[in-house]
Amino acid sequence: MDLEKLRETAAEVVAREDVKYLIGWKNGSYGYRVAPAFIEDAEGAAELIFSPLCISNLSTYLTLVEKLPLPRGQEPDTRKIALMVKGCDSRAVTQLLVEKGIERDGVVVIGCPCPGMIDYDLLAEKYPETEGLSEVKWTDDGFLVIRDGEETNVTRDELLAEKCRLCRYPNPLISDIMLGEPVETWEPAEDKGVEEVDKKDVNGRWAYWEEQFSNCIRCYSCRNVCPLCYCQDCILDRLNPTWVNRAVNFSENTAFNIARAFHLAGRCIECGECERVCPANIPLGRLNRKMAREVRDKYGFEPGLDPEAEPFQASYKPDDPEDFIL
Amino acid sequence: MSANNEPNIVAFLCNWCSYAGADLAGTSRVHYPSNVQVIRVMCTGRVNPLYVMNALQQGADGVLVSGCHPGDCHYMEGNYYARRRLGMLKDLMEFVGVDPRRFHMSWVSASEGHKWKEVVEKTVEDAREAGSFEGFRRRQIDW
Amino acid sequence: MTDKPKVGVYICHCGINISSTVDVEAVEEFALKLPSVKVARTYSYMCSDPGQALIKEDIKEQGLNRIVVASCSPRMHEPTFRKAIQEAGLNPYFLEMANIREQCSWVHEETEEATAKAKKLITASVAKVRLLEALEAKEVDAEPAALVIGAGIAGIQAALDIADAGFKTYLVEKTPSVGGRMAQLDKTFPTLDCSACILTPKMVDCASHPNIELLSYSEVEEIGGYIGNFDVKVRKKARYVDFDKCTGCGECAAECRVANRIPNEFDQGMGKRSAIYLPFPQAVPAKYTIDPENCLYLSKGKCGKSPKCQDVCGAEAINFEQEDEIVEFKVGAIIVATGFDPFDASRKPEYGYDDYPNVITGMEMERLVSASGPTGGKVMISNGEEEIEPKEIAFIKCVGSRDESVGNEYCSRVCCMYTAKQAHLIRDKLPDANIRIYYMDVRAFGKGYEEFYDRVRRENVRYIRGNPSEIFKRGNKLVVKAENTLTSTPVEDEVDMVVLGVGLEPRAEMRKVMDLLRLSQSPDKFFLEAHPKLRPVDTATDGVFLAGCCQGPKDIPDTVAQAKGAASSALIPLARGKVTIDAQVAEVNEATCRGCGFCVEICPYTAIEMTTVNRFGHEVEVARVNEALCKGCGSCSAACLSDSIQPKSFRDRQILPQIAALGVLK
Repeated sequence: MDLEKLRETAAEVVAREDVKYLIGWKNGSYGYRVAPAFIEDAEGAAELIFSPLCISNLSTYLTLVEKLPLPRGQEPDTRKIALMVKGCDSRAVTQLLVEKGIERDGVVVIGCPCPGMIDYDLLAEKYPETEGLSEVKWTDDGFLVIRDGEETNVTRDELLAEKCRLCRYPNPLISDIMLGEPVETWEPAEDKGVEEVDKKDVNGRWAYWEEQFSNCIRCYSCRNVCPLCYCQDCILDRLNPTWVNRAVNFSENTAFNIARAFHLAGRCIECGECERVCPANIPLGRLNRKMAREVRDKYGFEPGLDPEAEPFQASYKPDDPEDFIL
Repeated sequence: MSANNEPNIVAFLCNWCSYAGADLAGTSRVHYPSNVQVIRVMCTGRVNPLYVMNALQQGADGVLVSGCHPGDCHYMEGNYYARRRLGMLKDLMEFVGVDPRRFHMSWVSASEGHKWKEVVEKTVEDAREAGSFEGFRRRQIDW
Repeated sequence: MTDKPKVGVYICHCGINISSTVDVEAVEEFALKLPSVKVARTYSYMCSDPGQALIKEDIKEQGLNRIVVASCSPRMHEPTFRKAIQEAGLNPYFLEMANIREQCSWVHEETEEATAKAKKLITASVAKVRLLEALEAKEVDAEPAALVIGAGIAGIQAALDIADAGFKTYLVEKTPSVGGRMAQLDKTFPTLDCSACILTPKMVDCASHPNIELLSYSEVEEIGGYIGNFDVKVRKKARYVDFDKCTGCGECAAECRVANRIPNEFDQGMGKRSAIYLPFPQAVPAKYTIDPENCLYLSKGKCGKSPKCQDVCGAEAINFEQEDEIVEFKVGAIIVATGFDPFDASRKPEYGYDDYPNVITGMEMERLVSASGPTGGKVMISNGEEEIEPKEIAFIKCVGSRDESVGNEYCSRVCCMYTAKQAHLIRDKLPDANIRIYYMDVRAFGKGYEEFYDRVRRENVRYIRGNPSEIFKRGNKLVVKAENTLTSTPVEDEVDMVVLGVGLEPRAEMRKVMDLLRLSQSPDKFFLEAHPKLRPVDTATDGVFLAGCCQGPKDIPDTVAQAKGAASSALIPLARGKVTIDAQVAEVNEATCRGCGFCVEICPYTAIEMTTVNRFGHEVEVARVNEALCKGCGSCSAACLSDSIQPKSFRDRQILPQIAALGVLK
């Protein structure tokens, strides 16, 4: 992507009177770090980047913004928020529209066609982080890693993130401004992660998740990063009634993770952020992708494609599958 | 599971069809196992799928949700919503490794006292085969 | 909740219905140890006056504020006990019932297991009752009008009663005339009144009654709303005849190009009619109708040079451009009187109904003996070769009734008597005929029925006990093959005519009415009443009542009695002018609602709307419930990701402790 064009566009957008700020990506403080950027002026816009390291889904910030109590007489700031989205991120925006989490005219969506992101863990393992800033760029058939001035060409297969291997929507599905030309889509890979669990027997699956969920420290990073976990007051935090105890143990951790996965069924747009941020390395993506697959295969529904769609969990079809009913 | 090795089952029944069907089984003096404890709700649409998880966590070895046949819901559509939600939950639970024999859903109408007996028997038998679900129990259960 | 919960647990013996299987004393002792329980008692009949007094006294003297009654199903006595605790000054919704009869003592045999289960159920009830909230039932105005669906004798009677009480009644009939099945009957048992003679005045009354709006040749399309406020949409089908202009002279029918070529439904297809027709001479309204399927002009677009009916109609009533009309109105109560279908004798192929013209059904016999029937009341039948006056006549009873092979286990209740009546009528017309009736049992249970049966037997009608296995042809005779089970002898009986005593079945199209009104079927597939004994005309849908054979086979007196019962039940909300709407409706916690609108999408009653509220200076959308429309199903609640919408009395915080209580007690 042409960074000059990106920065120029961003500067124009933030200069608009009806735009409050723009959320994009900028370089972090060292190594491969990329940070979210909240841009309000041209100077800030000059810092924006779009690279294979911009894996984070910024749409979560749309609903994270706190609506603090306003002093009497003060009008709320209703200006638009501009947001840079990849294909997957754009589905989160669409799903938020379906759920009325945001309003269409409350956002300016800047679409970034995405050739695929890098798996940070793989990258850092092979090419350890440096003190100074490193860069990664797309090449025709892979990535170019630049560390301390040293350039290394890497094949796409070597470093492509799992969610991008499985990706079916690399181009933003909703946007007000599209940066650059759409990328060519690719054949999504088989979901080996889900299959690995699927092919175990029921006890094997329980044992697998028992091990995983036992590691959960209930930091709620998964919930915080998820663009679709945006209830101000999550039921899993409540005491009356208590759905899940706060105690960190296998039973409560499992209940928490089942509840979260269920709440995301038919809503998750597979951006993979939960799994990426999990400090305990729980493969949460498998859980959510499995549900997304069931919803797609059995119910013929995919969230985040159509802002006018009926929400999956608030609709039914008379011929929904019922082979499980006695 | 209790000392006599019997599975403990919680059932959520809609008021209009399945609860009435279970009442009819009583009026008809149809005998069936006593392991199933019924919680009455107005409609299966009321059954939050997380109740199933919660029941298994809080001492149940099996859970049953039963409502009106499709098209017969007293509230027109509640059982359709329930079917979708609970179907999803069943898939999720199976993927997590909860024995599918621990959760059943059925359609039992107000006139199907005998079907209610069959559903209870099947649910109990399946839960018995699946065994106690101590592994998932909440450490301390208060009410 | 202000008061600390003080729970009383009342365990009913129900005579010995509960106490013979459940150790009620042990349960009482157990209940006393449960948290918040202050009082536990057992009593022989909790629902009796002294039983209720026990509860009321404890509420007053022990300061109880929550009550658990462990007895029969809440579907039986919840209203009873709600009323009782209300009389003692408690909110009626501070009650929870543990069903230890229908779902415990009656279904478990061992005292040990039944007692253990009763303890669990009571524990769960105690867990919930402590957390129940005080609710207040509200009242809304009821529309002072009723809808009656079906204008057979049941619908006519119900409509007349409601109209006579001074309320507007919409009587909707699918066919062009009121009258229903009773209009087709010749004489009625056991009194032998002429059916038309007693029915016709009522038909005329209901058409001329100032309070009745008769919508004949019409079908109910949609019903929305709830008791007191149903919204009804009716389709008035095009008759292609101007209702107001038609004088009923009948010249059109006489001139019709397909006159006397179309099987007449009223005569069970034995007589013929025109494409423009009056179903029968006494039809009400006496207005002609064009049957669009058989009318040449409507089905083929051409009828000679011009349609003859149009040519001859002096009143210029024929209107081929007429279209269906949709009528909408509001009513407070609905009576379903959609009747029955006679059993289709083709489903018993061994009786040869489809093969032999001289095997006929009871309904056809009615038309055959009727003076207004296709033969003018002469009993003549074709034996396949010629029209004859039958000499040897056999009746077979229980065709399609008490027969598992066709899925009908029930007794149709009228066949014993109508075969006896028809035998008598034939005896009148053919004094020399040999008449025999093949039967399994004779059920002559009504007033004057046994006497009538005796009379018919004395008229030289032979009753042969045995269910024929087969009917076949031999020469120009029919052979009825059976076993006389009283003498254990096989019978091969040569006859000229067989009358099948077909039973009554639910209407083929009753599914449509079920869907319109959310009605259920009982195992016999007729409509299910709210309680088989104590609420025989009510349904599970408040404000909807049943009359006549749609609820189960009935003779005319029973049908009329039920119709009058349904009318008086329907009159309750109309006369009161108000209906109580349930207090157990959904409520939104606007502070946590995230405004996603899932509940709005789900609600089948459009009882939820999004509304803008000001949350500390910010405008946010939240859901709000219209309590008059909410039915308390809770479907919204299970989809609410933030648990912000909850049905009162069935809140998560009331149900989860129930679940936990059942889990703790293994």
